[in-house]
Amino acid sequence: MTGLVYKEWKQNRWFILSMMICSLIPFAALLQNREDMSAPETVRTICSMGTVIAFLFAGGLQTMVLRGDDRKIWGCWITSTPEGYRGFLRVKYEMVFAMAVLFLTSLSFFDRLFCAVMADRGVCIVSSIADIAMPLVFIQLLLRAIDIPFTLRYGNKKGSLIKLIYSVAAVLIISVLILTNFCNFSVVVFNMGKKLFSGKAGSLSVSVMMILSLAAYYLSYRISCRIYLKGVEQYDH
Amino acid sequence: MTTKKENAKRLGIYLIIVFAFSMLLIIFRKPMSSSHTAEFIISELFCFSPALAALITRKITKEGFRDMKLHLHLGGNFRWYLLAFILPLLCFAATYLIPVIIGGHTDWLGGFTPDNVISGILTLAALSFVQGVGLVGEELGWRGYMNRKMEPLLGTFGTCLLGGIIWGLWHFPIDISYYLEGGTLSYSLETAFGRLALLTCFGVFLMWLTKKTDSVFPAVIGHYMFNSSQSFFMMLFEKGSIPQNADIETSADAFEYIPMVITAAVFMILLLRDKRGENITQ
Repeated sequence: MTGLVYKEWKQNRWFILSMMICSLIPFAALLQNREDMSAPETVRTICSMGTVIAFLFAGGLQTMVLRGDDRKIWGCWITSTPEGYRGFLRVKYEMVFAMAVLFLTSLSFFDRLFCAVMADRGVCIVSSIADIAMPLVFIQLLLRAIDIPFTLRYGNKKGSLIKLIYSVAAVLIISVLILTNFCNFSVVVFNMGKKLFSGKAGSLSVSVMMILSLAAYYLSYRISCRIYLKGVEQYDH
Repeated sequence: MTTKKENAKRLGIYLIIVFAFSMLLIIFRKPMSSSHTAEFIISELFCFSPALAALITRKITKEGFRDMKLHLHLGGNFRWYLLAFILPLLCFAATYLIPVIIGGHTDWLGGFTPDNVISGILTLAALSFVQGVGLVGEELGWRGYMNRKMEPLLGTFGTCLLGGIIWGLWHFPIDISYYLEGGTLSYSLETAFGRLALLTCFGVFLMWLTKKTDSVFPAVIGHYMFNSSQSFFMMLFEKGSIPQNADIETSADAFEYIPMVITAAVFMILLLRDKRGENITQ
């Protein structure tokens, strides 16, 4: 197992370390607009936008660690090792999870450091990044839970394309259902959303979703274990 | 095979480094009170000092960085991860709820609605995996290094006792800072010794978890839950209606320690039993 961790580190260390650089994006955006920092509302808006952009960058880098291993020869070799392909996939999933956690930890660290530095300069900024970042990190894990099986099953390029086709199809179906109001779909969705995220039920729904995204991540690992060998047979080289 | 002398040397170096870091809180008290940045940097250094001390010691003594117990070992150990999550929650439930119920103040429990309790527990469960990682900074040092060097020298019971005391003493600069800022000495000492007793007891459970799973991560989750459970119950009490002059008398003091003492006793027995099993096998 240590060997696989070492291999991932040697192969992807720059992607892993770049998580810390990504977490600097919201603060770079704040420094870029430092004239507006006197208004708390502006600071919050810039922080939120910067955090979302940082998450998009970090998400892109997380998917890049899946590149390079979509080779038939590698798949066959790793299957023959004592750890097997399951060990390889476990380390991959652990690494992507660790990257998300590293990103969140760095973001929180730089947020508190930034607030402290600004407080010393007489500008009081209330730390608010954690409120946005916490739900986003679970969304990010959910997205990775979807990404990884596609990449492993169809290879990197083909997997992205197939995922895109599925996503577009899903968006089209939902749009058609909403536009045609098939079986009162839009009203049902609206009412359900209102029920789930309003008042006291809101915090319960958010906490259930956080747990579900973790469960989805684990489920994604189990699915990947089932489909990996089928994918290996279809890799181009 | 590492000799006892080598272990003692490594342990000594580790303790010197970790307490040197903790002294930063006292040495830099003045810059910390005048600068938020200095306060933040020194506090973060303090929080990560056990892990930093372990890494520095490994480097100085040329021990290397293998076997740091950083693998998750989730397979077959998920139940112990679950225990790490649930046990602190149960202990603090007993600490806070039993005195309130015995005292006949059930009307204070208005915030403990199913919605609040379930959402709180689920949030803690999710965050313990994502946010708890910050506590690797402590667990990598205490359970991942110190206890392992101490056990061949002092035995299991001695390690739990002295390890817990050292862990508690490391927090001493935080407790004494209240006194240095103009508070009373008696309150600072009361907090320090209360924390020391609780940590010594809870450390037994964390040591058992680390040995059982061969990973520091269950201890990280346990530690996170130890810290977060208290704020979770406080948050639920705040949602209820508690009078300003609320007092649940001396029974609360006893229940602050009883659940942790029981936990320590149970896991000490388990540790000693496992140790005896290991000796018989060898």
